[in-house]
Amino acid sequence: MSKVSTLRRAVAALLFVLAAAPAAAQRLLVPMDDAQQDHLKAYGIMYNALKDGLSGEWLLNYRGGAFLLPDTPELRKRAALAGVTVEPMDDGQLGSIRAQIANSNMDAVPLEKAPRIAVYSPPEALPWDDAVTLALKYAGIDYTRIYDDEVEHGDLSKYEWLHLHHEDFTGQLNKFYLTYREAPWFIELMQQNLQAAKRLGFANIPALKKDVAEKIRQFVERGGFLFAMCGATETLELAIAGHDVDLAGAYIDGTPMDDDADRKMDWKRSFAFRDAHLEHSPFVNSMSDIDGHQVNVPGRRQPLGTFTLFNFSAKFDPVPSMLVQNHRAVVSDFYGVTTSFTRAVLKPSDVILAEEPGAPWVKYLHGDYGKGTWTYYGGHDPEDPQHAIGNAPTDLSLHKNSPGYRLILNNVLFPAAKKKPLKT
Amino acid sequence: MVRGAWCVARGPLLLVLLCAPRDALHAQRDTVNAQQPDTTAFYKALELESAGKYKEAAPLFRMALNTTSAVSALLGLERVYAELGWSDSLLAPLDMLIRRSPRENVYRSVQLRTLQSLGRDDKLHAAIDRWIAEVPGDPTPYREYSRLLLQRGLTASADSVIRQARQRLGSSNDLQLEIAQLRAAMGLWEESAQAWRLALATSPYLEQAAIYALTPTPPATRSAIRQVFLAAPIDVASRRALAGLEVGWGAPSEGWLALKDLPPDSMSAAAWTDFATRAEAEERWPLARDALVAALRWRRTPEATLRAANAALRAADPGTALVLLPPEGPNAPVVTDSARAARTTVPIQARALAMVGRPAAAERLVARYDRFFTPGARTALTRAIALGWVRTGDMARARASLSTTGTEGDSSDAAGWLALYEGNLRTARVLLRTSAETTPELATALAIIARIHADSAPALGRAFLMLARNDSAGAATAFVEAADRQAVGEATSILLATGAQLRAALHDDTQAITLWRRIVEQESTTPEAPSAELEWARALRRHGDAPAAVARLEHLILTYPQSALVPQARRELDLARAGIPGTT
Repeated sequence: MSKVSTLRRAVAALLFVLAAAPAAAQRLLVPMDDAQQDHLKAYGIMYNALKDGLSGEWLLNYRGGAFLLPDTPELRKRAALAGVTVEPMDDGQLGSIRAQIANSNMDAVPLEKAPRIAVYSPPEALPWDDAVTLALKYAGIDYTRIYDDEVEHGDLSKYEWLHLHHEDFTGQLNKFYLTYREAPWFIELMQQNLQAAKRLGFANIPALKKDVAEKIRQFVERGGFLFAMCGATETLELAIAGHDVDLAGAYIDGTPMDDDADRKMDWKRSFAFRDAHLEHSPFVNSMSDIDGHQVNVPGRRQPLGTFTLFNFSAKFDPVPSMLVQNHRAVVSDFYGVTTSFTRAVLKPSDVILAEEPGAPWVKYLHGDYGKGTWTYYGGHDPEDPQHAIGNAPTDLSLHKNSPGYRLILNNVLFPAAKKKPLKT
Repeated sequence: MVRGAWCVARGPLLLVLLCAPRDALHAQRDTVNAQQPDTTAFYKALELESAGKYKEAAPLFRMALNTTSAVSALLGLERVYAELGWSDSLLAPLDMLIRRSPRENVYRSVQLRTLQSLGRDDKLHAAIDRWIAEVPGDPTPYREYSRLLLQRGLTASADSVIRQARQRLGSSNDLQLEIAQLRAAMGLWEESAQAWRLALATSPYLEQAAIYALTPTPPATRSAIRQVFLAAPIDVASRRALAGLEVGWGAPSEGWLALKDLPPDSMSAAAWTDFATRAEAEERWPLARDALVAALRWRRTPEATLRAANAALRAADPGTALVLLPPEGPNAPVVTDSARAARTTVPIQARALAMVGRPAAAERLVARYDRFFTPGARTALTRAIALGWVRTGDMARARASLSTTGTEGDSSDAAGWLALYEGNLRTARVLLRTSAETTPELATALAIIARIHADSAPALGRAFLMLARNDSAGAATAFVEAADRQAVGEATSILLATGAQLRAALHDDTQAITLWRRIVEQESTTPEAPSAELEWARALRRHGDAPAAVARLEHLILTYPQSALVPQARRELDLARAGIPGTT
């Protein structure tokens, strides 16, 4: 081999090393606009980086709500494995981005600590899935499943973020008794809940669930982040406001619902709603008039439309801004046991994050309560608008860019944001 | 009871009210009778409707309500009123028609549909109550109403209608179809299957509806569905439905299990033949063979026998083909038309004989019918026979056989295969490249010999020869041996991959993994490396070693980021990590 050839190889090797080694100030930009190949896994990259002790930034309203991370070989590796698009940024490029952010409705929010996540869900397999656990699993975000025993034993204090999905906190098992009373899964579900109630010292299922709801209320009051979807939103509110009221039909607790229940509800205790009217008939598959769509009630069901995300001021309303970061402003609606929230029952302090323009309902809500926050997102599965009991769970590898699922994952990350003084 | 009392109390008043319309009706009916033969209005209305002239069509359909085409005219009127947004205008004519013919179910159904579409629930309930009262013991009103509710997704309401029917009629036997659809809509799959089974027993034509309704059954519940449909006594319609479901669920072999033990009769034979037709279309030849052979148990026709023999041959089962079409002996079909036999049975028999290692018998048979073959058919059979000689190991006879077709034989792809078997790559390369064949075997052969620069590779020829003799295990070993020869150069990885593929097809994952590992570790820059690593990971996952599979997939994605297999690898990675739900 000639000397020239050897020299050439050495130079080439050196150039390769220089090109491959990141400069000290380099960052990885995770774009969240249409350039991103897998929006959902991008959240997992960000969350796990925080979990590993790295810090990052959420560039609100910049390229669909992009993330900025340190450029490390490990993060590049994770992004490559997950199929997440990343763009290396040098100081010059970064300066240009920061200038653009400073002069627009954008902001860079530091993200510091990954929240500890709990999902309230029964340990037994049920014939429906939960969009949040599907999203967390797909994104590779760890969570702990907890249920009544753990809540009653005070385990909520171990977590910062809690998700609820399908639970009926009025203890009426979503009134599935009407149609599924003979289904083996329902019989088993009822038995397990009854046993749990007995084991934990409650007279019946409604009493247990209302106590669980109360502990969740206290969790938020103490500073926890609550994210609920589907029927859990509405029933949690009813259970909290109706803590001292018999809300359940005779089929579940032996006594009919209190005729005067509407009047006795204490809405000061609840997070989001007020003055809702309860559905008194045990034979109508609805809990109250909180849900605008009433999907399971013949004659009341409303058609699905689309909902529009609000564009908040990133610099003045960073939390709502984080919750609506998306690469789409208009998203197709989807049904759930509770699909939407009637405007007439919203509290004045509620922040509407998404609504169906012109419709008497909204889709996505947020608010503060005590030292914590709550967020409600109506519907069951953003990628299966009419998800029925027994349907196969959604395969998110087929919906990597789902704007509806992004809203769920925004909720997982926003508790990681470092609070900074409001700009005035 | 309450309703009865109310009717008695209002009786006289109602009679007075009804008299006038009834007189008017009699008068109208006289007019109707005079007009009955005239259906011109109806056909003119249809023309106008087709032309989109709904406003003009409506009065003519209304006029036709008074003719013998009243039922069709009403359906036409329903359509055009719906287009015009005038559905409420249908209610008055409907009242008149129902009074005139209270037993005509179409009028009732249209009335229910109209009231429902208008959202007049109170009137809808009243109409149902009237219908039920007028035809006590008839399940039709319940059936129609529950169907309407189901179409709107109101499962709970449909359920209560069916319960009411069961209570009042004393049985729900006549409502099994509605129960089946309802239970499926509620996700009560097993109960739905039970109802479908009962419905199919009396209405076998519902087979496709049952398949459509039960196809979404989740994998975990499918075994319960199978039990329902397989339970004794055997019912052909239910078994057909189960077979259809299994095919839809991606398990056609299970579908055949649902049908194979049917008693031989005309219905079963139809089921077997239909299943075979689908299997043939999807080139699932072993299933097609089994179904067609079963159908022969009921009726043996020359056409059916030929079809079964052809399926057997394509299923690489020449033995069965020869049992079905013996070329000689007492059971041989009587061939009265030699030209026809040369087009139909003889080619199958000759190919089967060549495949079972009796090329000499095949040659004799072809010689007997030689004058009836077209030149193309004769060449094709000669090639098949030559390959038969190859299988017996007699290459000289194979060459001799090919030479009988003249110069074309020497330049044919069959000659190319013979050259390949002998390790003569130079000739094989030329002849196989121009082959009209599109088989996977040819694609593999071309891919391999294109990567070898030498003109001769006897070890490779032996490997292909073993493959031609259906000795997959021997061929797998021979391909690996060929890979170890210096002469194959750049083809090492593809030879190892071919060996691994054969091992995997033999369910010998241990040996296959050894070869895939060797490709990944020693041939890492070859095109086969990412593919070998993906197959290796899949095998590991099949054996329950998810962590090892994850390691392989991660290595693949990071090492070959530009490979077209990366999206598949990412999906496998998600499955291995249980990040997405499995599909089985």
